Amino acid sequence: MRNRILALAAVFALAACGAAEEPGQQQAAGPVKLTVWIMDGSVTQELLKKFETEYEAAHQGVDLDIQIQAWDGIGERVTAALASTDAPDVIEVGNTQVAQYSASGGVSDLSAKVADLKGEDWLPGLAQPGKIDGKQYGIPWYAANRVVVYNKDLFKAAGITEPPKTRDEWIEVTEKLNKGGNQGIYLTGQTWYALAGFVWDEGGDLAVQEGGKWKGALDTPQALAGMDYYQRLQALGKGPKDADEANPPQHEVFAQGKVGQIIAVPGIAARVLEVDDKLKDKMGFFPIPGKTADKPGTVFTGGSDLIIPVASQRQEQAYEVVKALAGEQFQTELAKAMSFVPNRTSLAGVLAGDEGTAAMAVGAANGRATPNTPNWAAVEATSVIKQYMTAVLTGGDPAAEGKKVSESITTTLNSGS
Amino acid sequence: MPARNRSLWPYLLIAPTVAGGAFLLLYPLLKAAVISFQHFRMGELIRGGAVFAGLENYTELLTGAEFWQVLLRTVVWTAINVVLIVVLGTGIALMLPRLRRGLRLALMSALALAWATPIIAATTVFQWLFQSELGVVNWVLVTLGLDQFQGYTWFADGTATFAVLVILVVWQSVPFAALTLYAGLTTIPVELFESARIDGGTGWQVFWKVTFPMLRQLFALIAALEVIWVAKCFPQIWVLSQGGPDGATTTLPVYAFKVARVLHRYDLGSAVAMLTVLILAVALISNLRRMVRS
Amino acid sequence: MLNAAAVAVLVTTIFPVYWMFLTAFKPTRDIQSDTPTFWPAHPTLDHFVTAINAPGFWTYWRNSLLVTVGAVLIALVVAMLAAFAVTRMSWRGKGAFVVAVFAAQMAPWEALLVPVFIIARDTQLLDSLAMLTGVYFMITLPFTIVTLRGFLAAIPVELEEAAQVDGCSRLTAFRRVVFPLLAPGLMATSLFGFITAWNEFAFVNVLIIKDQDRRTLPVWLSSFRDVFGTDWGATMAAASLFALPALLLFLFLQRRVGTGMTAGAVKG
Repeated sequence: MRNRILALAAVFALAACGAAEEPGQQQAAGPVKLTVWIMDGSVTQELLKKFETEYEAAHQGVDLDIQIQAWDGIGERVTAALASTDAPDVIEVGNTQVAQYSASGGVSDLSAKVADLKGEDWLPGLAQPGKIDGKQYGIPWYAANRVVVYNKDLFKAAGITEPPKTRDEWIEVTEKLNKGGNQGIYLTGQTWYALAGFVWDEGGDLAVQEGGKWKGALDTPQALAGMDYYQRLQALGKGPKDADEANPPQHEVFAQGKVGQIIAVPGIAARVLEVDDKLKDKMGFFPIPGKTADKPGTVFTGGSDLIIPVASQRQEQAYEVVKALAGEQFQTELAKAMSFVPNRTSLAGVLAGDEGTAAMAVGAANGRATPNTPNWAAVEATSVIKQYMTAVLTGGDPAAEGKKVSESITTTLNSGS
Repeated sequence: MPARNRSLWPYLLIAPTVAGGAFLLLYPLLKAAVISFQHFRMGELIRGGAVFAGLENYTELLTGAEFWQVLLRTVVWTAINVVLIVVLGTGIALMLPRLRRGLRLALMSALALAWATPIIAATTVFQWLFQSELGVVNWVLVTLGLDQFQGYTWFADGTATFAVLVILVVWQSVPFAALTLYAGLTTIPVELFESARIDGGTGWQVFWKVTFPMLRQLFALIAALEVIWVAKCFPQIWVLSQGGPDGATTTLPVYAFKVARVLHRYDLGSAVAMLTVLILAVALISNLRRMVRS
Repeated sequence: MLNAAAVAVLVTTIFPVYWMFLTAFKPTRDIQSDTPTFWPAHPTLDHFVTAINAPGFWTYWRNSLLVTVGAVLIALVVAMLAAFAVTRMSWRGKGAFVVAVFAAQMAPWEALLVPVFIIARDTQLLDSLAMLTGVYFMITLPFTIVTLRGFLAAIPVELEEAAQVDGCSRLTAFRRVVFPLLAPGLMATSLFGFITAWNEFAFVNVLIIKDQDRRTLPVWLSSFRDVFGTDWGATMAAASLFALPALLLFLFLQRRVGTGMTAGAVKG
C-alpha cells in the first residue's frame, strides 16, 4: 500500500510543483527584467558586460538579462519563443532567417520607428530581408562579408608581391601557391556563399521571381559559369569536396601554416591565432577579386537583424534596448571589437585603419543578399545547394545537377505558408 | 486483503500508467492527429486559428511520388540494419562464452562503452572517421594499398553515405542485441548442448536444433525492438547527411522532420507521423500479440 | 581464429570511443593533422577546462541529474505497479493493456514535439522542469514496463505465497521477498531510461525557453559551435564528460543488464 501511495504522491508532487512555478509572478514588483537573446560568437563577453552595465545605469529600474544562444536548434527555439505567451523581449536572428519569422505574424511591426533609428542609410542587405509587404520587422544590426585571408610567408615564398585584382590573376596566383605540400587555397566543396558571389558576378542568381512565382536559377548559363569557376579554384587545394567550411573549421586547417588562402570573414583571424599563434602578423587580406580589375567581386552580405516578438510583454522597453544596440555608440564599439560592418553606411569610417576590415569594406560596396522570400531559410536548412556543389565537384554533370537543384529550390520557395 | 476488492486491484495498479499515458502520450497523439487534418503551419503555430483542411494533407502525401520512395527506402534501411544487427549480435553472443575470461570481459566492456556513448558524440566521431582528406578510414585504406580511397568522398555518393550510416547504426545497436542474447544463452542448461553434441551434431546443427528454439522468444523480441528503433532512427541521419545526397538517406522520420520543422509544414509532418505509426503497427501488431500471449 | 575474430570485434567496437577520448586530450592544432596520430603526443587538459568553464555547466548538470533521476525513478515505481498487475494477477483487458504498452514504444516522439509544446504552453508549463520530467518519464515508461515484466516473471510466485502463508500481507511479502530479488533488475532497467533521458535534446530545446537556468546538459554539449564551426576538442571533452555517468553506471551494472528480458522471454 505504501508503495502505491508513494508513487501517487510523487506524481502529484510533480504536477503541483509545476503549477507553483507559473511565469509572471516575479514580474509583479522590483526592476523590469528584459530578456535579450544574442547568438554565440556575435559579441564578446566583455562588450556585452559593458553594454549591460551602461544600459542599466542609464535606465533606472531595468534589469537586462542577456542570454547567449547556442547555434544548434536555434530555429526551433526562436519559433517556440515566438509562439509562447511570454517571449524574450529582443532576439537576434540571421538576415537570411528574418523574413521567415516576420512573415509568421509573431514579430512586432517597427515601421513607425525607422526614422527614429536613422534607417535612411541602413545596409540594404540587412534592411531588405527584415521588410515584408512594406513593413519593417527586422532592425539591421551588423553585417560581415567574406574576404580572402592569405598567408604572407607563402605568398613571399612563391614570389607573389601583389594580391590578385581579377579572377584570372587569382587562379594564376593560386596555382603558384599550390606546390610542394602547400595548398593554394583551402576551399571546401560546400562553401556556397562563395559560389553565390561568383554566380552574381556572371550575372546569374540563386533564384528569381517571375510573375509572383519563384524559380530556382542555378541551371542558367550564368550560374553554371559561376560554378565552373568555383570548381577550377577549388581544385587548387585539398578542401574536402563533401563538407563545408565549418567542418572541420577552416581556421584550424589554415593555422597549420600550409594553406595559402581561405575565404572567410576577417574576424576569423582571431580564431586562427587562438589555435596557434605562429601566424601572428603573417595574415594578409584582400577583397574577393572580380571579373575585371576595376570592380571587386560581388559578395554575400551576411549578418543579423534584431526583432521584438509580439509575445514580448514589454514592447516599449524592448524597443529602447533595440535602439541602444542599433545606435551609433554601440555600433562603433561592435564593429571595432568584432571586425563587423556597422548597420549604417555612414558609420563605415570605423573600418578604416585595419587591413582586414578595410578589405571587407571594399567588398561590402558590392554586397548582396539571398533571395528575399520567407521560404529561403528552408532552402538553406535542407542543404540542397551544398549537395549540388558536391555532386558537380565529384564528377556529376553540371547541367543535369543544376537542373535538379533548381527544381528543388523552386518547389521549396513556392510552398505556401 | 478482502477478496471482494481483489478485482479492483489490478486496475488501481495500472492507473498511474494509464493516467500518464493518457495525458502525455494519447493527448498529444490526438492533437497531432487533429493537426494532420488541418492547415497548420508556422503562422498557425504562432497566431493560432488553424482551419480544417479535410484529407488535403493525406492526399498530397499519398499522391506524390516522394512519400512512396521514402517508404520503400525506409523498409530497405530497416531490413538491412535489423538483419545485420541480429546476425552480428548472435555471432558475438555465441562467441563470448567460448573466450578466455580476460578477453571476454574486455569485449563485453567494449560493447558497453559503445552502447553508452551519446548518440551525438558517436555520430560526430563517425563523421570524422569518414572525412575525405583527414579521416582515419581513408588513411587506413590507403595505407593498406587501396589507393583509390585517397581523398575518397564518402558523403558525396548516396550509396556510400547510406553504407556509412548503416555501419554507424549497426555499431550502436549490436551491443544491446549481443549482450541480451549472451545473457539468454547463459540460461540454457549445459546438458542440452552436451547431449546434442554426443548425438553427433555439428556446431551449426546445435545452433538450429537447440539454441535457436530455446531462444526463439528472445530473438523475436529483439528483432521487434530493433525494427522499431531502426525505423525511427533520426539524429544520426540528420547530423551526417540531412537525408542527402539527393535524398538517398531520407527515411520516414527524416522526411517528417524536413517537412515539419524545416519547411514548417506541421500539418503535413503530422500526417507523415500518423502514417508511420499505422504502418509500424500493421507490421508488428500480430507479432506482438503472439509474443504477449505466450 | 576465434580469438582473432574476438580481437577484431573488440577493436572495431572500441575504436570510435577511443577516438572521442583521444581527441579530447589533443591540442587543437593536432586535431586536424594530415596523418592521424593514434596516441596523444602532447596531451592537454585545455578542452576539459573550456568545457567545464562554459556558462551554466553546473546548473545544467544539476538540472540534468534532477530531471533524469526524477523521470527514471517515477517510471520505475509506476512500471513496477503495472508489471506486478500484469505478472501476478489475472484480469479483463490485460492482453490489450500489454499490447498497448508495447505499441507505445512506437510513439513518434519527434512528431509529438509540436503538440506537446502547445499543451505545455496552454497549461502554463513552459520553462518547467516538471513538464520535462513528465515527458521523459513517458518516453521511458513503456520500455521499463516491458523489461520489469520480464524480471518479475522470472521470480517464482511460490516465494511470495510461502511468505503469505507465514502470515505476511501480500504487500509485505512483495517487499520482503520479491523486492530484494528484483533490485538488480530495477537497476539494470533504470539504465535504459537513464541513457534515453540523459541524451534528450529536442524537447528541452523547445520546452525551456525564457528561463535558461532550467536547461539541461545536452544543450551544453551542443554549445561549442558558432559561425566559424565547431570547437571539436571542447565538444569531444564535453562528450567524454557527458558519457561518463552513463558509462560508469553501465560498467557497474553490466552483468545484470539483459537478464530481465531473457528471463521473461525464455520462461515464456
